[in-house]
Amino acid sequence: MKRAILVTAALALALAGCGEKKETVTATASSPQPFTLMLDWYPNADHVGIYQALADGDFTRAGLDVHVQTPSDPAAPLQLLAAGKVDAAISYEPEVLLARNQAQALVSVAAIVQEPLTSIVSIGSKHITTPADLRGKRVGDAGIPYQHSYLTTILAHAGVPISTVKEINVGDNLVPAMLSGRVDATLGSYWNYEAIQLAQLGKHPNVIHMQQVGVPDYDELVVVVRKDTIVNHPDTVRRFVQALARGYEAVRRNPQAGVANLIKASPGLDPKLQLASVRATLPAFFPSNPADPWGWQDPTRWNAYGQWMLTQHLISLPNAVVDASTNELLAGQGL
Amino acid sequence: MMRARQAIPAALLLLALIGVWELYADLKGSDFSTAILPAPHQVAQALYNDRSLLWSNFLVTAKEVLLGILVAAVLGALLAIAIHFSPTLRRATYPLLVASQAVPVPILAPVLAFWLGFGLLPKLVVVALVSFFSVVVTTTAALAAVDPELIKLMRTFDATRLRTFVHVELPSALPGVFTGAKIAVAVSVIGAVLAEYTGSNSGLGYVILVSEPQLLVSRAVAAVVILSLFAIALFALLGLIERLAVPWVYRPRGEQPV
Repeated sequence: MKRAILVTAALALALAGCGEKKETVTATASSPQPFTLMLDWYPNADHVGIYQALADGDFTRAGLDVHVQTPSDPAAPLQLLAAGKVDAAISYEPEVLLARNQAQALVSVAAIVQEPLTSIVSIGSKHITTPADLRGKRVGDAGIPYQHSYLTTILAHAGVPISTVKEINVGDNLVPAMLSGRVDATLGSYWNYEAIQLAQLGKHPNVIHMQQVGVPDYDELVVVVRKDTIVNHPDTVRRFVQALARGYEAVRRNPQAGVANLIKASPGLDPKLQLASVRATLPAFFPSNPADPWGWQDPTRWNAYGQWMLTQHLISLPNAVVDASTNELLAGQGL
Repeated sequence: MMRARQAIPAALLLLALIGVWELYADLKGSDFSTAILPAPHQVAQALYNDRSLLWSNFLVTAKEVLLGILVAAVLGALLAIAIHFSPTLRRATYPLLVASQAVPVPILAPVLAFWLGFGLLPKLVVVALVSFFSVVVTTTAALAAVDPELIKLMRTFDATRLRTFVHVELPSALPGVFTGAKIAVAVSVIGAVLAEYTGSNSGLGYVILVSEPQLLVSRAVAAVVILSLFAIALFALLGLIERLAVPWVYRPRGEQPV
C-alpha cells in the first residue's frame, strides 16, 4: 500500500514535471509565506484538491504556508477578501459579479468547478424531469435573488407561466423540505451533493441542469483574489493557483486518497457521501478541452453570463463584467 | 437520600418526554428520523459512535463559554458598580445595553472576523456580549436593594464612602453577580454555538454546522445534548461557587448579619 502511494507520488511528480509548459515558478529560499484561503462553505467534496495539495506539500513547495478558513456564510468570503483579511477566497461566479457590481476590485483567477452545480432537484416519485413538469408545483429555494432569476428564465424558456409555480424560500433546508413533501422540487440544490444524498436515501432524484434549460453556462466554484494582489504579487497568486492545480490533478489520479485527506483535515465529514460526491464531480474539476490548463475560465461564457445578469437587473454596471476573470495566472499562460 | 428522592420527578418527566419523542420519531418513519429529527436511540448511538469527535470539540466550546462568562461577570459587575455611583452613566448606557442585546450575531460576524480574526477572541466577545447584560441588570438591582438603614449606620460611624462600599454594598452586590451569571449560562452556550457559526474550524457549533447539511442530524442533536448537559453542570457549578464565595447569603435564618 505504502509502496503504491510512493509510486503514485513519483508518477505525480514526473507528470507534473512534463505536463506543464516550462515555467520558472520557484519558491523563495526563505520560509514559506503565510497565505489564508477562505472556503465558500464548510469543507466538502468540492474542496478535495485543496486538502490534497496541502497533504502533498504542493503549497509548501510553492513557498506558501496556506491556512484554510471556514466562513460564517457563503457571502462572507468575498467581504473579508475585499477587506484584506484573507488572501484568496473560494466563491461562485455570480457572487464575483455581484461583488464587482458593488465596486469591489476582485478578480476570479481560476475555476475549480467548470459548470453550474446549482440545479433543480426533485424526488423521483414527483416525476419532474423537464421544466414543463414544474407547472402547478411548489419549488423551494434558498431565497437568493439570482436563483429566483434562474427560475423565471427557465420557466420563460419552457413557456410555463411564472404564476403557475409557487416559489417557497426554504433557506438551507433543501433536502428536509423535499423529504417532508413541503415542496415538490428545489432550485439551488447541487447535483453533486443534495442529489447524491437523496440517491443514498433511495429517493431516485431527478436533476435538471441549469445550463441545459436556458440559463447561460457558468463556473460554479472559482478562486478569487483582490485585483491589487494580481498587480503587486502576481507570482504569489500564480504559485498558489498552480499548486492547487496539482492537488486536483492528484485527486483525479486517486480520488480515494483525496477523500481520505479531506476527511483527515475535517473529521466531521461523512466518508461515503464525500467519496460519492468527489467521484461525481471529478469531470467538472477540469476544462472540457484537455488543451486548456486546470482552472480555465472561458471568457466568452463569462461574458455571456455577465450579460444575462445585466439583462436580469441583478447587476447594473457593465464594467462589473469586463475582466471579471483572468486566465493569465494559470499554468503556461500569461508569460 | 432526601436529595435522591427530590430528583425523581425530574427523572420521570425526562423519561416520559424521551419516550414520546421515540414513539413519534418511529411513527414518522426513516425519512423523518434521518433528515429532520432523529429518534433518541439514534442520538444515543451518535453520542457513543462519535464520542471522540464530540469530546474534542466540546473542549473547544467549553473553553469559549467558561472564559466568556468570566469576562461577562467581571465587566458586567464593574459596569453595574459604575452605574450605581453615576445616575448619568446609567441613563447614558442603559438604552445601549438593551440595544446591544438585539444585535443578531450573524451581522457581527464579519466585523469581528475583520477586527479579531478567527481564533478564540471573537468567540469570547460574542459569548460575553450575550451574557453580560443579565449580570449588569441583576448586580445593579442588588446594589439598589441595599438597606438604606445600613448605609445610614455606616455614616454615623463616620465611615468613608469607600468603606461603606466595601463593607455594605459589595457584599450585597456579589450575589447579584452570581444570579446574573447563572441566568447567562443558558444564553452563553447558545452564544458560543452562534459564535462558532461565524467562522471556525472546531467546537460543537461547528460540528452542528457541518452535520446538518450532511444529514448527520443524530450527530447534531448529540452535540445539542452535550451542550444542554454542560449548561446544567455549569449552572450547578456556579451555585456551588456562590455558596463558597458569598456564604453570608446562605446563613440559616436568625443568624443574618443585621
